[in-house]
Amino acid sequence: MTNEFLPPGLALQKADEKIMTLNVGPQHPGSGHMRIIVQIDGDYIVACDPDPGYVHRGEEKMAEYRNYITNIPHLERPVIHDSCNVLYPYVLGVEDLLGIEVTERAKYVRVICSELNRCIYTMYWLAIYGIFLGHSTMFMWPAGDRELLIDLMEKISGARVTHAHFVPGGVRNDLPPNFEEVCLRQVNYFEKRIREYAAVFYDNPILISRTQDTGVLSREDAIRLGVTGSVLRASGVDYDLRKKEPYDVYEELDVHSNVMKEGDSYARSKIPWLDMLESCNIIKQALEKMPKSGSVRVKLKPNPKGKGLNSVYKRVESGRGSLGCHIVSDGKVEPYRLKLSVGSFRNLIALPYLLKGEKLGNMPSVYWSLNYWPVEADR
Amino acid sequence: MTNTATGIIRALNSGIKHIATKRFTLRYPEEKLKFVGDGYQFDPSTGVGIAGLKGRHMLFHDHCTGCQLCSIACEGVAEAIAMVKVPDQQKQNKKSIMPQIDYGKCVFCGLCVDACPFYALYMTNDYELSSFTKEGLIYTPAQLQVKPYVAQDSEIIITKWGATHG
Repeated sequence: MTNEFLPPGLALQKADEKIMTLNVGPQHPGSGHMRIIVQIDGDYIVACDPDPGYVHRGEEKMAEYRNYITNIPHLERPVIHDSCNVLYPYVLGVEDLLGIEVTERAKYVRVICSELNRCIYTMYWLAIYGIFLGHSTMFMWPAGDRELLIDLMEKISGARVTHAHFVPGGVRNDLPPNFEEVCLRQVNYFEKRIREYAAVFYDNPILISRTQDTGVLSREDAIRLGVTGSVLRASGVDYDLRKKEPYDVYEELDVHSNVMKEGDSYARSKIPWLDMLESCNIIKQALEKMPKSGSVRVKLKPNPKGKGLNSVYKRVESGRGSLGCHIVSDGKVEPYRLKLSVGSFRNLIALPYLLKGEKLGNMPSVYWSLNYWPVEADR
Repeated sequence: MTNTATGIIRALNSGIKHIATKRFTLRYPEEKLKFVGDGYQFDPSTGVGIAGLKGRHMLFHDHCTGCQLCSIACEGVAEAIAMVKVPDQQKQNKKSIMPQIDYGKCVFCGLCVDACPFYALYMTNDYELSSFTKEGLIYTPAQLQVKPYVAQDSEIIITKWGATHG
């Protein structure tokens, strides 16, 4: 078999005395379900070619064969830890297509679920980031403290991971009795806990020496490459969709977006942590402002249909950046086309630029700081 | 240099403080978590669900009419529900068919509960469904009729010495 029939990376490289090609992944624990083809000269990375697609499941095609309600359980599978946020743009889009007005209480419940899920996702990511930098305390602590919020989500939606809680027209069920009190208590404790991470992890000189000034992404490059979310905000661009394009009730809440100017791995790993503190703040505000009673779900007709040929694009701020959903309807019960635009995939494009000239040992710290979730990027 | 030293001492100190805190983990088979309510339920008259754990289903034979709406709701999701003949004759169930659920396929989304207009299908707190065989995961209407007993003895308690499952 000649080289042109083989996928990239498997092709035989021209023998070179200095450059070696190395496949990291797709089954390497340090890469997630994807492959990074790196060319190294001694200990330094000369070139890097990320190769996603190992866990592609055809979510977008699957969505064309299911109606607007049965699409819900499979569309949250790309990021099961962030399942409320990954459904959020889809639900907003379908509501727009079907012309449904959601009640005020449902919007607040959605904001609370979305922020809880953002924290759950970020804690999982932080646990992985910690263990790949060899910091096993930072693996155990977030994995344990996640439980406080998973417990809250289990009380709301009845499932620990894949909630299937958001539906077009609101949410599936109302909050359980005296949930506000339990939520406030556990979120306060959670906030106190994550503040302790500063001493162990973020102010730790070992972490700082490993991550500071590695993989620097300048403000201009960040804008040019089109990265989103925490990566963009770590490079000094104040862009948070909760603030810039508020959806649901975010405009009534006081949202502060965290920005750092450095653009290195340290800033990229610190922004999600600051976002978690901000999420706790938003949850507390939402619990206070939420209407104390009222319906949370608008009754839909069975098998709702879009009105004629129509298309809608909605996006939200997920744990990994802007998450958009483009739905095209042709008046049938199924969407004609559904396209997910995810933050992970956009952030991956920065990887070859960041890794060039870095040491191979710095690869985990740069790669995981991109807040990249392979399953979401492959969809 | 002093910065590095104080940083490491701060990190160690923060870790040492945790010797005095309570154990957060749960000794699972001996202790089990407490849930809200009796599982996820749905009220078709208002169209809103009632919060609860989405565990194994419970089927009320005296309400089920064999309309197959749960099976249709599952078609695009997991195809876990099959309608089977049941021996007992119910007045409202002319065809004598009721759902049989394959928990090897079920994703516990609860859309079948939302689809049922006759208050016949609910979910319960039973989450321990493991079986040695694939057939053992298929629950017949007679098995779904049984109300499960679920031990619930601990929930998260936040004390001065940290959170714990008490």
